[in-house]
Amino acid sequence: MFILRFLIRRLLQGVVIVFLVSALIFTLLRVVPGDPVRLMAGGMAPEALIEEIATEMGLRDPIPVQFTRYITGVFQGDFGQSFVRPASGAAVGGASFDDSTRGERARVLDLIAQTAPMTIQLALLAMVFALVIALPIGVAGGLYPGRWPDRMALYLSSLFVSLPNFWLGIVLALVVSVKWQLVPSIGYHNFAYTILPAFVLAIEIAPFLIRTLTVSVAGVMAQNFIDIARVRGLSRNQIVFRHALKNAAVPLLNLLGVQFSMLLGGVLVIEFIFDYPGLGLLTINAVMQRDFPLIQGIAIITAAAFVLINIVVDLAATAIDPRLDY
Amino acid sequence: MSVTTLDPAARVAAAQTVSSRIWREAFASIEFRIGLIVFILLVLAAALYPELSGLDPTKLSVREKLIPPLFLGEGWTWKHPLGTDQLGRDMLSRALTGLRYSLLIGVATTVLMLIVGALIGLFAGYYGGRVDMVLMRLTDAQLAIPMIILAITILGVSRPTIPSIILVLGLAGWPVYARVMRSTVMAEAKKEYVRGAMVLGATNLRIMFLLILPLLLPPMAFVAVLDIARMMIFESVLGFIGLGVQPPTPTFGNIISDGRKYIMNAWWIATMPGVFLVITLTSINLMGAALERARNKIYGGA
Repeated sequence: MFILRFLIRRLLQGVVIVFLVSALIFTLLRVVPGDPVRLMAGGMAPEALIEEIATEMGLRDPIPVQFTRYITGVFQGDFGQSFVRPASGAAVGGASFDDSTRGERARVLDLIAQTAPMTIQLALLAMVFALVIALPIGVAGGLYPGRWPDRMALYLSSLFVSLPNFWLGIVLALVVSVKWQLVPSIGYHNFAYTILPAFVLAIEIAPFLIRTLTVSVAGVMAQNFIDIARVRGLSRNQIVFRHALKNAAVPLLNLLGVQFSMLLGGVLVIEFIFDYPGLGLLTINAVMQRDFPLIQGIAIITAAAFVLINIVVDLAATAIDPRLDY
Repeated sequence: MSVTTLDPAARVAAAQTVSSRIWREAFASIEFRIGLIVFILLVLAAALYPELSGLDPTKLSVREKLIPPLFLGEGWTWKHPLGTDQLGRDMLSRALTGLRYSLLIGVATTVLMLIVGALIGLFAGYYGGRVDMVLMRLTDAQLAIPMIILAITILGVSRPTIPSIILVLGLAGWPVYARVMRSTVMAEAKKEYVRGAMVLGATNLRIMFLLILPLLLPPMAFVAVLDIARMMIFESVLGFIGLGVQPPTPTFGNIISDGRKYIMNAWWIATMPGVFLVITLTSINLMGAALERARNKIYGGA
């Protein structure tokens, strides 16, 4: 079985990548200055207590020892506990060093599992928006290379790519939510709160889609079989939708795999602006609070997601275009 | 970024003048000229205005606080074309000073990225085998960590200064270049002139740095123009979440983040610098897109 061998090979490679990522981020977090225990215990805690907590948590062991302990846990599905977040609620610890809630801190995996669906919802809606924006512009640009739809595609994508997501988010929140009161945007209470953040994210993704669409549609339309299709009497719409778009789908899929990390970066900032309770906001807060286990957990999970998405993309691409090799 | 497949014959004939042909091709397009003119104007303004106008971007003037931009709202003056912020600092001067830092960081980061990526790709592609495997797995791992998570992690726990921002963004962004470089070097290393040089007894380093690199770097550098804009956005994002160049030095990110608190009664503080940033980035992106198209046209790739 080709597929099986392909899957095994890619998954093994994936494990290596994820392992490297965890080693990288783990070392990085411990090498850079900034003591998380100081933050957890609060500025007023005596030095002796800080050392005591740190030793108790194993933070004073050599880095390889700490990493081995951590990675053993990860392979058993245990990503550790957050340094600062209590299991009971969203309140943030670190105010006083004798805080009783420290005993029951939230598990990293739980925190990620709670927020990930929100981010996936946001990302999927953004993809839909992005496709709706990019398809007409990109296809038109590809059908008339060098003419005005092509120029239009170039100008629009240059403009879209130049809009900083956080600024666009603020402006749209001000105009659409505050002035016109069309859709709500800050926080999250129901699905309507996803619309504006998803739109901002879509504007960020759209230029890449437009460019890929323009190039691949133009490429396909120059092929022989398109001329033959015309001779066969197919209408223009049939040619575009049956042949050109289907062939343009593979580069689009590949783009999704390559740009995954950009998508995630966008999500991070956009969730921060709109106070949208997803993975991105969790990440920013984790970094601000030096919540090492949480940062590591998020980095590992996103790396794994990156690997998996790229495998799925390759599988889907071969399903669409059987000529492609694994 | 696309990896172009090259037609060897056409490539060798064109090798001498590839860079200048790309330049000429790009320069002929309208969008490149528009971008260039706007960009030059903005750079001149950024270089000269804050000093010439005598308006210090960090000088407070409480009496002149919250003046709206020209023609928009009551009490505007020609002295402050983009208005002032909550502490009476001139917005135009602040935005232009922000542009300086933004450009500095954008260009420096992209150059660093290009150098690191090109070198790693060059070694991986030229030596192949085990060197290639180790370097490429490292690249994959780096690619699998979203750049922004890496950047905010490092900058969040250490102190963000201009060199550290350049270093972090540059070291987070190289993998794409490494990949492109590796695949083109692999194709290039099999060619006759390289083998000829080997027969003549040239060392590997000589071949790599005197024959292959000068040929492959310029086309990559053209496309890197687009990355300058991307890095400028990154810098402003970092500034926005408080991990960029620290106040009182004005940058687009920290001005916008600051202005957000006053958005309801002084909308211009957060929005005007953004308009500036968008215009700058659009001009760079227009130039970059024109260069990229020119390169693709000349290489005949997609």
